[in-house]
Amino acid sequence: MSLILQIVFLLGDLVFLGLIFLLIKRDRLSVRFGMLWLIFGGVWLVFGAVPWLLKVLRGVLRFQVVSNMVFTMLLAFVLLVLLTLSVAASLAARRMRQLAQANALLEERVRRLEQQRGPDAQNEDA
Amino acid sequence: MKTLVIIPCYNEEENILTVVRRLQETCPWADYLVVNDCSTDRSREILQSGGCRYLDLPMNLGIGGAVQSGYRYAEANGYDVTVQMDGDGQHDPAYLEKVVAPVAQGNLDMAIGSRFITHEGFQTSFMRRLGINFLSGLIRLLTGCRVRDVTSGYRACSKAMTAYFARHYAEDYPEPEAIICALTEGFKVGEVPVVMQERQGGVSSIRALSSVYYMVKVSLSLVIYRLSRSRKGGKR
Repeated sequence: MSLILQIVFLLGDLVFLGLIFLLIKRDRLSVRFGMLWLIFGGVWLVFGAVPWLLKVLRGVLRFQVVSNMVFTMLLAFVLLVLLTLSVAASLAARRMRQLAQANALLEERVRRLEQQRGPDAQNEDA
Repeated sequence: MKTLVIIPCYNEEENILTVVRRLQETCPWADYLVVNDCSTDRSREILQSGGCRYLDLPMNLGIGGAVQSGYRYAEANGYDVTVQMDGDGQHDPAYLEKVVAPVAQGNLDMAIGSRFITHEGFQTSFMRRLGINFLSGLIRLLTGCRVRDVTSGYRACSKAMTAYFARHYAEDYPEPEAIICALTEGFKVGEVPVVMQERQGGVSSIRALSSVYYMVKVSLSLVIYRLSRSRKGGKR
């Protein structure tokens, strides 16, 4: 990796990490989901600062060229993110269902109590 | 025996009041609760003006979410038996007592009103029967228990079963999944012969294209559920 490419890569990674921090700070991204992206940015920051590590890893994992290994790692990361989002969506749907049910049960109870009290009592409250 | 009939309702403006009135006339001993699953037609207005007891879900949760709301209501209000009954007029309240009886006597935790014991009345289309037979065979293979009418939404549940369903209930097309959940959790499930009618009006939520999704989703759910849980036979 040339020095210019390395500097561009490091700067790009720092901008990416800064963006994640900013999104967390502004409450646009929760720490829970931001963590995955921060780890991703952190790992690439290390690889960008010490590209030699990529060559060592390529040797250990028996990849033909470094670029193949990098693309495989990126693909694995994207799949991990998608899986995490699917889990989060399923969980959110379940919680939303419970909340909607609780809301409907409560609304029915309030409606029933109001009917029991009659319209006069409601007018007095108003 | 305190009994609650849950009637899920999604865009049933043509049928819902008739179903409720018929239930009130036939079974005055049973309470009922219509669960309006955020209908986009006049169902809610009809229920309100008709003085019906109903839950009004703020968003469409599907049949599973709607029925589960009813189970939660039944559990919170201490009902002994909870019955599910479709809001499209297919289920005749005249059979309610018959469906409730094995649960009330403590013989079953879930009694399913089945069309396929005496083969009387509306029997559904050939293709649907084929699908029902496949799911019935799959449930038998996975649990060893034979349930013929696995998609019947006419079923009575005991207090323990109600409490279980108030916590765990499948989202969409839940009927076959509820059976396998009940069987693997050690509840006693059986069938009672009933006669069903064709829906009295409106359109079914299961269309031709969604039937493929239905079969794949339900089959997969049944297998996954069975594999993820060991059977608690005879514990209850």
